[in-house]
Amino acid sequence: MDETEELEPVEIREYGGTDLSSVDDFRENSIRGPQHIDDIASYRLKITGLVDNPKNHTYEDVIDNYQHYKKVVTLDCVEGWSVTILWEGVLVRELMAESSPLPNAKVVIFHAYDGYTTSLPLDYIMNNDIIMAYKMNEVTLPAERGFPFQLVAESRWGYKWIKWITEIELSDDVNYRGYWETRGYSNTGDLDKGFFEE
Amino acid sequence: MKNIANQHLFKRIVHWLLAILVIIYLVTGFGITEFRTVETLTLGLLTKSLAFKIHNNLWIPFIILLGLHVFLTLIKKRKKAMPD
Repeated sequence: MDETEELEPVEIREYGGTDLSSVDDFRENSIRGPQHIDDIASYRLKITGLVDNPKNHTYEDVIDNYQHYKKVVTLDCVEGWSVTILWEGVLVRELMAESSPLPNAKVVIFHAYDGYTTSLPLDYIMNNDIIMAYKMNEVTLPAERGFPFQLVAESRWGYKWIKWITEIELSDDVNYRGYWETRGYSNTGDLDKGFFEE
Repeated sequence: MKNIANQHLFKRIVHWLLAILVIIYLVTGFGITEFRTVETLTLGLLTKSLAFKIHNNLWIPFIILLGLHVFLTLIKKRKKAMPD
């Protein structure tokens, strides 16, 4: 009777005095519907492109070998809704540092399991505490929300918050455009500007 | 007589334009929130970004037409209520 059995975690709805949205408050608006990566043992997170040392991380590699960070950040979707969530993850710049980006790398291109892509300037990733989350509100990301990893691209519109990340590619192509960016959305995705290209 | 006919035609145009605008508003709204379905149904013609652009630019004509619609309807009711 002394043994304690761990039950399924339940999401928290308040953190440090901030009311949090629920995991269920998101609208499903991915390009091909929720992706289910059932076999996490075969999942790989690739770090490729303009790096000295390309990597092929397993899910456990990322979770076990990098410092974990928590942050309350609000996601603002171009559709007009927003959610405030406690995100937990690893810093993208720490993940990339081990791969030693080359000096001519300017852009970080994120690829997802469903073929979705988006990009952000390397400076933005390096100069801000941008995390790649594996938990939200203290529970592991559900498949619908981007398991195993979702980018927390704070101060950027929701289409920059790529889910189901499979590859982080460093590039010198400053004109690279991701899925929605090729369809007219702003390439910077700055929250304080409109989301359509000027 | 001609003036009354013109007024009647104007009212009809306003009412029909408003009806069409409401339908476009609805379709483009779905084109944003249910973009996968709408893109498929329209054979890729109404994309999410196009739906956004149309939807976001409709509010001024919508308010003008709605205002005209209400105004014209109130005038008609008032005229009917007036004793001969």
